[in-house]
Amino acid sequence: MSTDYQALAKKLMARAKKKGAQQAEVFIEVGREASVRVRDGEIEDLTQATSKGVGVRVFVKKRLGFAWTSDFTEGSLNAFVDRAVALAGAAAPNTLNGLPDRSDLRGHHDVGALFDPKVANLRPEWKIEAAIEMEKAGKSVDPRIKTFESVGAGESVSEVYLASSEGFTGGYQGTYAYLFAVPVAAEGDQLQTSYWVDYKRFLDKLDSPEAVGKEAARRAVRMLGAKKVKSQRVPVIFDPMMAASFVGSIASAANGDAVFKQSSFLASKLGEKIAPDTVTIVDDGLLKDGIATSPFDGEGVPTRTTRLVDRGVLSAFLYDAFTARKAKTHSTGNASRGYRTMPHIGTNNLYLEAGSQSPEAIIKGVKNGFYVTAMLGHGANMVTGEFSRGANGLWIENGELTRPVQEVTVAGKLLDMLQSIDAIGNDLTFRGNTAAPTIRFKELTVSGE
Amino acid sequence: MAKTTSSHTPTLLSVPLIERLLSAAMEKGGEFAEVYVERNESCAVVLEEKKVKSAQAGLSQGVGVRVIAGSKVGYAYSDDLDDEALFRAARTAALIAQGGGSEQAFNVARTALPTFYRLVTPLANVGVEEKVALVVRANKAAHAYDKRVKQVIATYADSTKRVLVANTQGRLAEDTQDLCRLATHVVAEGKKGDRRTGFYGGGGRVPFSHFDTFTPELVATEAARQAVQTLGASDAKAGQQTVVLAPGWSGILLHEAVGHGLEADFIRKGTSLFAGKENQKVASDLVTVIDDGTVANARGSLNVDDEGNPAQFKVLIERGVLKGFMYDALNAKLMGHSSSGSGRRESFKHLPLPRMTNTYLAPGESTHDEILHSVDSGIYCAHFGGGQVDITNGNFVFEVSEAYEIHKGKVGRPLKGVTLIGVGPEALKNVSMVGNDPMPDPGLGTCGKDGQSVPVGVGLPTLRIDNMTVGGTRLGGGA
Repeated sequence: MSTDYQALAKKLMARAKKKGAQQAEVFIEVGREASVRVRDGEIEDLTQATSKGVGVRVFVKKRLGFAWTSDFTEGSLNAFVDRAVALAGAAAPNTLNGLPDRSDLRGHHDVGALFDPKVANLRPEWKIEAAIEMEKAGKSVDPRIKTFESVGAGESVSEVYLASSEGFTGGYQGTYAYLFAVPVAAEGDQLQTSYWVDYKRFLDKLDSPEAVGKEAARRAVRMLGAKKVKSQRVPVIFDPMMAASFVGSIASAANGDAVFKQSSFLASKLGEKIAPDTVTIVDDGLLKDGIATSPFDGEGVPTRTTRLVDRGVLSAFLYDAFTARKAKTHSTGNASRGYRTMPHIGTNNLYLEAGSQSPEAIIKGVKNGFYVTAMLGHGANMVTGEFSRGANGLWIENGELTRPVQEVTVAGKLLDMLQSIDAIGNDLTFRGNTAAPTIRFKELTVSGE
Repeated sequence: MAKTTSSHTPTLLSVPLIERLLSAAMEKGGEFAEVYVERNESCAVVLEEKKVKSAQAGLSQGVGVRVIAGSKVGYAYSDDLDDEALFRAARTAALIAQGGGSEQAFNVARTALPTFYRLVTPLANVGVEEKVALVVRANKAAHAYDKRVKQVIATYADSTKRVLVANTQGRLAEDTQDLCRLATHVVAEGKKGDRRTGFYGGGGRVPFSHFDTFTPELVATEAARQAVQTLGASDAKAGQQTVVLAPGWSGILLHEAVGHGLEADFIRKGTSLFAGKENQKVASDLVTVIDDGTVANARGSLNVDDEGNPAQFKVLIERGVLKGFMYDALNAKLMGHSSSGSGRRESFKHLPLPRMTNTYLAPGESTHDEILHSVDSGIYCAHFGGGQVDITNGNFVFEVSEAYEIHKGKVGRPLKGVTLIGVGPEALKNVSMVGNDPMPDPGLGTCGKDGQSVPVGVGLPTLRIDNMTVGGTRLGGGA
């Protein structure tokens, strides 16, 4: 017999109110997942799991208490609700505290299907065969593909339920399936690795295992023989995966909380032109088939489409309910959370809009420069706006990718970097929840020898 | 220092039930089965914008069952602990072995364990108001340090985790692992509106009274000092330079640049640069690297690892020569070795992996001042931010959050935007002086691998490394 989690959420919410909370919100996650990794044509490990958990957030006289548990026995659930109410006593009152207002909990959009029965019913054999296929395809690319750090496939099926005392209860089910390959190429004393992945809500949208295995291998092999280069200022291209990571940095500086605290280099730039007209960065909770698409965010607010940078102009920041209240604005439906964490500002499906040039043409336009395919380190400081990361990739000479490069850093100031984007590719593809096409910066500092 | 005791708290699962679960896990003919049960109570307090923002508590519990057949691993976990869920997990994991199998009985017996961190009062039993008091004091001290301190975030977090691991080799081990950390993050603003950040904190598997001596004032003042003292920092010069690392937390560089490459899974798969280099020279003569899971009350210490094996003191590199690796039980078996007590997992939701515990570079002979005085021109790395390594090609990267220029043997102006980059073994060969100063970090580190986070200790004495590549935006002329 299956539990009615929606009813359970409402029941726990009611208990919190009875125990003294003026406002209460219950968030339940239930899921199952399975994954397979293979090695040399055989299963390396096979994991199957079920999980669930509940988090309750309460406000008692404007004080916030939060508790979570994965123990669903009745006595334990009741005790944990009471604990959340008691914990509120230890926090300071804040007049801005509270759940999203009733008016902000209305107007949910139809986001289309998030659940694929094919993923939910995926057989272990499919994953085993897919992983073996990726391994085989990767090895067929080049004899120097010696082994795989790991190669595998998996799926996740999850349900989310939310009950807010401010007049909203809801739930949704979602699925995703994924493939990943991390090959190792060897030559002489050098080892090089790379990876390639795909994540999709629907099985039929997933790249073929062969394509994932081959692309991962191609990326690893071309790094063999990588060396440092001399320190210099040159045009730098980020491939789509690295461009996505750059866009992620910009979005984290558009976090309304960091902006309110003046802890973001973008804090004073709203309405200003921070990039060329070609740059539009969008956070989209409604993207069709998106991995991060959902009808409501972590506190029940409808998700939406927010243009952070619109044709070069910084046009919005991202908010959850608490931060929006501080900044005298409204939530943008960007409260991100799991049952163990309180809502905090995060992105939904985030992307940089595609441009018109092919990636080949963007490379062609560079006489002497650096094509970056991997980066190491966290390296982007949101407070100061400084960017400095370890980078690997390929050197560009006369419009051609020529030799592999490692052990260098690329550095710049994020505001200068945004302004210096002088080419955007037409190759925007989602392989997760953040995506970008190839981008080129007019000039960045590459430090090596 | 280590005393042998047995656990007095009630067991997480009864011995007869564990034995029946092991039988169920082996019913398809596996060679080895293991049951891991965990119950983790956690508490956290956050202060920001001068107010205690929230107090929170969590409880996570569950079971993971692992079955090994040849080199194949079956794993199933569940966060229900009722009999039905437990047996479902055992029978699911069992399916990795496709053989017929037969009904077998397994007996387990409790293993006596040393204890490196037994707390009289578990952290879960300390009142939340005492934890709130720590962050309130930290906030006050950070603001009092200097009026240029504009923002303070103070956090306290702890957990009391009970684990039980039992396997078909008859082993049954139980441990209670308390862990806490107090930390303060500060933003300071200079006259021209420039902003710098500071971060400091610590803790470990320590009793709450640790904060009587490692006070919130000490933590907050250090974080505030880092932020204020680096206001007005200039851009670092990019290129190769001599660097001097401050003692303690700088050990994060050793952890990333070398430690990960010595974990047995990467060695077995041939994906580490250190694979096949045992007894070879991999570092300067001055370098001795130790991983020690038995340090009293340290953040990375373990009485028993997550496969039921006692933690060990291991010399990984001795005077520059590679001596050994860190093994979990599965990689040890496949490599014809014994476990080094390095099998760790984030929770019951994860398979164990070979991991570091507390990883140190052993002290040398030079004083801190001798090392600084030896440098004509270079960079003093006082405090590190995060770092990352690519095990396969050995590339590592570190952000230095507090850095100064060294000019004629003296620490000078603050620098910003300093990133160190290198290839692990090459950087170790360029170690030219090792300090004799104290080296453990204050208990800050969390290590991530394959999506699993575990607490670790790091540490090194003052260290001079030559020809380190420094990233930055300013291209320097000459050396």
